[in-house]
Amino acid sequence: MLSPVLTVEAVHVSYGRIDAVRDVSFEVPEGGLVTLIGANGAGKSSVLGAVSGLVRPKKGVIRLDGKDISRWPIHRRVGAGLILVPEGRQILGSLTVAENLRLGAQRRRRHAVAESDMYRLFPVLAERRALPASALSGGEQQMLAIARAMIARPRVILLDEPSMGLSPKMVDEVFTVIEKIRAQGVTVVLVEQNARRALRVADTGHVLETGALAHSGPAVELLKHPKVVEAYLGIE
Amino acid sequence: MLQQLANGVFAGSIYALFAIGFTLVFGILRQLNLAHPAIFTGGAFVGIELATRLGLPLWALVPAVAAVGALAGVLLERVAFRPLAGRDDEHFAGLISSVAFGGILIAALQARYGTEPRSFPSGYFPNRLFEFGGISVTLMQLVTLGLALVLMLGLAWLVSSTPMGRAMRAVAENPRAAKVLGVNAGLVTSGTYALSSALGTVAGALLALNLGQADRDLGASIELIGFAVIIVGGLGSLWGAMAAGLILGIAEAMTVSYFDSTWKGLVPFALLFVILVLRPRGLFGAVKVREV
Amino acid sequence: MLAGYDTLITTIALGAILAYSFHVVLMAGQLSLGQAGFASLAAYTSTLFVPDQPLFGSLSPVLIGLPVGAAVGAAAALLLGLPVLRLRGVFLAIATLAFGEMVRVFMTNAEWTNGALGLRLEKWATIDLVWLILAVLTYLFWRLGPSRTGRAFAAVREDELAAGSMGVDVVRTRMTSFMASGAIAGVYGVLFTYFFGRITPGAFDFSMTVDGLVTAVLGGYLIFFGPLLGAGFLTAVPELQEALGFDAGWIHPLLTGVLLLAVVLYLPGGLSSLAARLRPRRTPTPPQDTAVDDLRPLPEPGSTVARVRGLGKSYGAVQAVRDVDIDLASGEVLGVIGPNGAGKTTLINMLTGLEPPTAGEGDVLGVALGSRGGAHRYAQAGVSRTFQHSKLFGRLTVLDNVLVGTHVVSRGTYGRRLVWLPSARRDERRATRLAWAQLRRVGLADKAGLRPATLSYGDQRRLEIARALAAHPTLLVLDEPAAGMNHVEAAELAELIRSLAEDGITVLLIEHNVKMVVDTCTRLVVMNFGEVIAEGEPREVISDPAVIEAYLGADETGEPEYA
Repeated sequence: MLSPVLTVEAVHVSYGRIDAVRDVSFEVPEGGLVTLIGANGAGKSSVLGAVSGLVRPKKGVIRLDGKDISRWPIHRRVGAGLILVPEGRQILGSLTVAENLRLGAQRRRRHAVAESDMYRLFPVLAERRALPASALSGGEQQMLAIARAMIARPRVILLDEPSMGLSPKMVDEVFTVIEKIRAQGVTVVLVEQNARRALRVADTGHVLETGALAHSGPAVELLKHPKVVEAYLGIE
Repeated sequence: MLQQLANGVFAGSIYALFAIGFTLVFGILRQLNLAHPAIFTGGAFVGIELATRLGLPLWALVPAVAAVGALAGVLLERVAFRPLAGRDDEHFAGLISSVAFGGILIAALQARYGTEPRSFPSGYFPNRLFEFGGISVTLMQLVTLGLALVLMLGLAWLVSSTPMGRAMRAVAENPRAAKVLGVNAGLVTSGTYALSSALGTVAGALLALNLGQADRDLGASIELIGFAVIIVGGLGSLWGAMAAGLILGIAEAMTVSYFDSTWKGLVPFALLFVILVLRPRGLFGAVKVREV
Repeated sequence: MLAGYDTLITTIALGAILAYSFHVVLMAGQLSLGQAGFASLAAYTSTLFVPDQPLFGSLSPVLIGLPVGAAVGAAAALLLGLPVLRLRGVFLAIATLAFGEMVRVFMTNAEWTNGALGLRLEKWATIDLVWLILAVLTYLFWRLGPSRTGRAFAAVREDELAAGSMGVDVVRTRMTSFMASGAIAGVYGVLFTYFFGRITPGAFDFSMTVDGLVTAVLGGYLIFFGPLLGAGFLTAVPELQEALGFDAGWIHPLLTGVLLLAVVLYLPGGLSSLAARLRPRRTPTPPQDTAVDDLRPLPEPGSTVARVRGLGKSYGAVQAVRDVDIDLASGEVLGVIGPNGAGKTTLINMLTGLEPPTAGEGDVLGVALGSRGGAHRYAQAGVSRTFQHSKLFGRLTVLDNVLVGTHVVSRGTYGRRLVWLPSARRDERRATRLAWAQLRRVGLADKAGLRPATLSYGDQRRLEIARALAAHPTLLVLDEPAAGMNHVEAAELAELIRSLAEDGITVLLIEHNVKMVVDTCTRLVVMNFGEVIAEGEPREVISDPAVIEAYLGADETGEPEYA
């Protein structure tokens, strides 16, 4: 077993007096693909927020390569290679495709791969590099959001609902890209609504229910676990 | 007639330089910073103090004033804006806290300099007059125009073509997305206030140089014109603020030559009003109209 | 006793009156700064009407000036509001400021005003009169708080979209607060002028605007006596400072600035919130009987509630919803499911009047889609909704949130409250009973006195439902009500929804929890990528292969395992 590159230890997240995440712990091994699944509002995005630094956890420790990064501001985590691809893509529409990529590389200039490599991985972006990113279609924007993280050669990439709002064909492409990312040896944490697909590409899965981990285990087992099926399909 | 046009351009360049600080902060941080006029006034007094006490020549005075302004901007952000970050009423509370900060700053200026106008040392800057085809301009006016243009174009270059500018534009469009990409949003915020205030203080010092003196109402007298400039130009648009500054300067000068000079004050507001009602994003505004 | 303090005491009162003209717009969430202009217009106009001699030998002639001033101020606000009230935030602030400056320049240049020098007048406004007017204003605001109008103001301030969806006419409420502000500013202008016996255009300038705003904010605009506290404080500070022997001119502005900064940073509700904190918090007591029997009956089961054809919405090149047909019959529970981003929320935003469709036609409870007027017209017709991301009124208690919901089924009470008519009290009690009944129904009766932010996600969802139910809706639209709930809570919610349907309420339910949808809905629509991909009996729909592929996710064999 490889040593974990990312560890989440007993993390609590609250907004005001509401507990969104309660006592969540898990490990992500080097080069692994871990998925978090659960209903809307179960706390998946809050966990990713705490890991990426977007939200500050109330309690708990987050480690990257064994180092406690819980107090690091988000830009420092990005500098260390822990990069979030946020829900809803959040591309910068008024900047060009190329500027979006350059911004993605800015914090990790020493590690970053060449822009042209990204265009090879995402050919659809190459022909649109000079256009404002708002001119891209939804699927293309998702590709740009992933490319913007990949250009920084991340240690760990956090994907928050990458298939949201995409046509079935685009969803297929997104999952193809996720497998490519994985083939490059990048560690992936995937939050998905399409739980079955997510579990099919993942090694390990964690099921969140009202802010707490309800089930964890190898993805192949979770796929057959009756309680898990109930948790995301809701059918007994 | 041409003389009035020239006068309008000179006045307009100061309006633009003042307003560009307003619009920079609004464009990037969606905050109307009402301490800006006080910072502007402070720039005038600091300029006079540095010229009188240290005898700094103009080429050294401008960067020195800008540096003081940048520091004031950082302080302003720490005291009046940062503590409000994340609050529901962040923008409204920021409006009020910046009024308070401005009031404190003016009170401090009054404590040090009193209420009487202060002047630059006599003969601080050569009082040379040039004639171009019937238009007479002072050397000071030319220096002012030149400096204003250099500073504004410099800012425009910084925002459009440097990594810092790219980060600023990213924060302006979507602070969350910018952070996720590793932009240090706190640094961008401080930097924006520093830049804005540096430009504001230089504008204040330049106006005082042209007038020869300054009093504590200097900023208040230009504040409302500043609003007109940023709205006419389109809130958040740098090029818009530059153009609108010149347009308003010229329009005022023209009003003076055709009507009574007391009507001059109506021009910026009438223009502002028409623009807000007909085209709220301003003549050049590309940014979306956002709520505060 | 008060000899020598006349001016001071009157200054406090005048400051408070000015602050009320800001208070009333801030209460409704509007940053309007045109008060100097209204005051100036009103004061100058009143000089044309105020007679030279006391009325009937003894009454102050300003009594003629005050109604004139109020009317001029309100009329000016109406005329200004028509073009500018579509602006918000700083844009509204700057537009109204510009108006004030234009009035100032105009008055400086007009002949009859004697320009910048102004006019000398008799000092007809006495200290008693000024305080009387302040007392009247304070009374008006005291009675406004717990009235239907007062709640509408608060709702618009906290969240315009939610207020509109609860049937509050947002445009009208904003205009009302704007005109009230104009009228009060007008009264202030007249009193100010006749107290000092002089009028100049320069008295109504930007610094007057800043003073009024600062006083209103310092005092706090959430409680009716805020302006009084603010004015008292701001006037007392320089007095105190002089009494202590600091008489340097800069100390006063310094103290004011520091005080204001401290209040904004540490006391967001202003000084009056401090006063309110001193009082022990009262927990509202529920009435014994919550029956309300004069509500209009719901339509017959099976009659048409909504019928739309070819509904579509595009944002630029992005088509969020395309070609959707919906028929809703009374008593139905229609579920809409689909992946995130499939267009479900856009669809119900169109059906509840929050967004106009870009294609298609139809009507909901007789209101044609895309018709002008906004969400409150749908609400008045009987549509009520919750939001995917809770849009509760943050600075109102749980009970007050639900009371806003009763807006469309109660009568205005403010006017009657002013004269203490018993019927106003009856109507308020009826609204309160209605509100309590909903809180009981969703199980929040023990949390009525709390602020929404202190509730759990599940409770916030329930509160939104209670608020929507308080409108006695014909059609209830629920946008992901079970998000953030655990299985037990979701099961309870399903039970609640079924009981609502039994009562005859038509329900449109957007939900991700498939079990809950199957258990509660009579019919199911599945959306993906903006289109309806399946429709029909719930159990049949969720075993449709296309639905499984798009939403539930097929297993390796492509066969549905768990249908």
